[in-house]
Amino acid sequence: MKIVAVTACPTGVAHTYMAAARLEKAAARLGHAIKVETQGSMGIENALSADDVAGADVVLLAAGIAVRDRERFAGKRVVEVAVQDAIKDPDRIIAGLGGA
Amino acid sequence: MGARLSDVKRYLLSGVSYAIPFVACGGIMIAAAIAFVPMTAAGPDFSHAPFLKMILDIGTAAFSFLVPVLAGYVAFGIADRPGLVPGFVGGYVANQVGAGFLGGLVAGLLAGFVVYWIKKLKVPAALRPVMPILVIPVVSAFAVGFVMYRVVGLPIKDAMAFLTRWLATMGTGNSVLLAIVLGAMIAFDMGGPVNKVAFFFGAAMIKEGNFAVMGACAAAICIPPIGLGLATVLGPRLWGDEEREAGYAGLAMGMIGITEGAIPFAAADPVRVIPTIMVGSSLGSVIAMLGGVGDHAPHGGPIVLPVVDHRLAYVAAIAAGSLFVALAINAWKALAARREEVR
Repeated sequence: MKIVAVTACPTGVAHTYMAAARLEKAAARLGHAIKVETQGSMGIENALSADDVAGADVVLLAAGIAVRDRERFAGKRVVEVAVQDAIKDPDRIIAGLGGA
Repeated sequence: MGARLSDVKRYLLSGVSYAIPFVACGGIMIAAAIAFVPMTAAGPDFSHAPFLKMILDIGTAAFSFLVPVLAGYVAFGIADRPGLVPGFVGGYVANQVGAGFLGGLVAGLLAGFVVYWIKKLKVPAALRPVMPILVIPVVSAFAVGFVMYRVVGLPIKDAMAFLTRWLATMGTGNSVLLAIVLGAMIAFDMGGPVNKVAFFFGAAMIKEGNFAVMGACAAAICIPPIGLGLATVLGPRLWGDEEREAGYAGLAMGMIGITEGAIPFAAADPVRVIPTIMVGSSLGSVIAMLGGVGDHAPHGGPIVLPVVDHRLAYVAAIAAGSLFVALAINAWKALAARREEVR
C-alpha cells in the first residue's frame, strides 16, 4: 500500500516531527511505502508532489490544526487522526488504513 | 542561492494577494466616510459626524495593516512560516520610518531571504526545535529591523528634506515643470515619503494663498487608482479576478482622493505600473496647472470639487490623466502577453 501523510501540530516544533518519524517507522515495519509531509513552524517540509498524491492509495492526516492546501487531496480516500495518536500508536493507525 | 531573482515577482504577488483585502476594506470605509461629510478648506470636516468618524477610524486601522501584511506575506512566500515574524516587523518599521509601501516591499524581500538563508544552515539536532520559535524570529527580526531603521530609514529622511528644499527653491517660477515634478512625485510611491513631500508642499502653499500647487497635486492624487481601476474595466481579460476586484476598490478610492488604491497594482508589477502612473499624474497636473485649477483644501480627487477653482479644467485634468493610464497600461500588458505567446 502506498501512503501519503501530513503531520501538523499547533506549535509545530516537536509533535509534528515526532509523529512523522513514528509513522515512517511503523509503515516500514508493516511493509508499506509512506511519504510524510511536515507542516511545522519551519513551514512545509518534505512536501508531497502532485505525483505523490496521485499515486497514493490513501491519504493520512495526523494533525491538531487545519492542514494547509487540503484541496490537493480532493477525490482521494482521506483518513484523519489526532497527531497524538500517531505518536502513541502508529502501528494501529497504519494497520487500520487497510480497511474500507 | 536556490531562490532566483526571476521568482521575485511570484513573491511580490503572494504578498499582494494577502494585502488586497486590507486595501479594499480600509480604502472603501475611508472613502465612504469622507464622501458623506462636508469638504472644507481644512479638508473633510468630521466635527458633526462622530459615527462617520468612527468608520473613518476603522478604515484607517485596516489600512495601517497594508504595509506589514504586504511585507509579512512577501517573506512568507519566500521562506514559508518562519518568514512571517521578520516580514511583519519589517513592514511595521517601514511604516514607522515613513518608507511607505516600497519600503515594505524591501522589508518583505529582505526578511524572506534572511530566513531562507538561516533555514539552510545545518544545526545540531538538539538545537533544531528552538530554531523556528526562538532563533529564527529573533535573529531575522533584529536583522531586518536594524536595516529598516538604520539603512533604509535614514536616507529616506534626508531625501525627504532634500526634496522639500528643492521644491521650495524651484518655487512657482516654471509652473509647468513644477506640475510635472509634483505629478510624478505624487504617483511614484502612492502615499509613501516622496508622495508626502509633494502633498505637504501643496498643502503648505495653500496657507500662503497659492492654490494652484495643490490644484496640480489634487488632480495627480486620484489619477493612479482611477486610471488603473478604469484599466480593469476597459480590458477585463487582461486582469485576474483579484485585480478586477482591486480595480473597483481603486475607482472608489480614487474618487475620494486616496492614491493608495493603486498600491496592489504597483506592488504586483512595479516596473510597468509605476512609470505609467507617474506619466499619467504628471499629465493631469500639467493640465490642471495650465487650466488655472486651484484647490483650497489639502486633499485630492473629485471629492474636493466643491472647493476647487476652474472645475471644468480640474475634471478634464483627471479624465485625461486617468484615461492615459488606463490605455497605456492595457496596451503595455496586451503587448507583453502577445510577446509571451509568441515565445
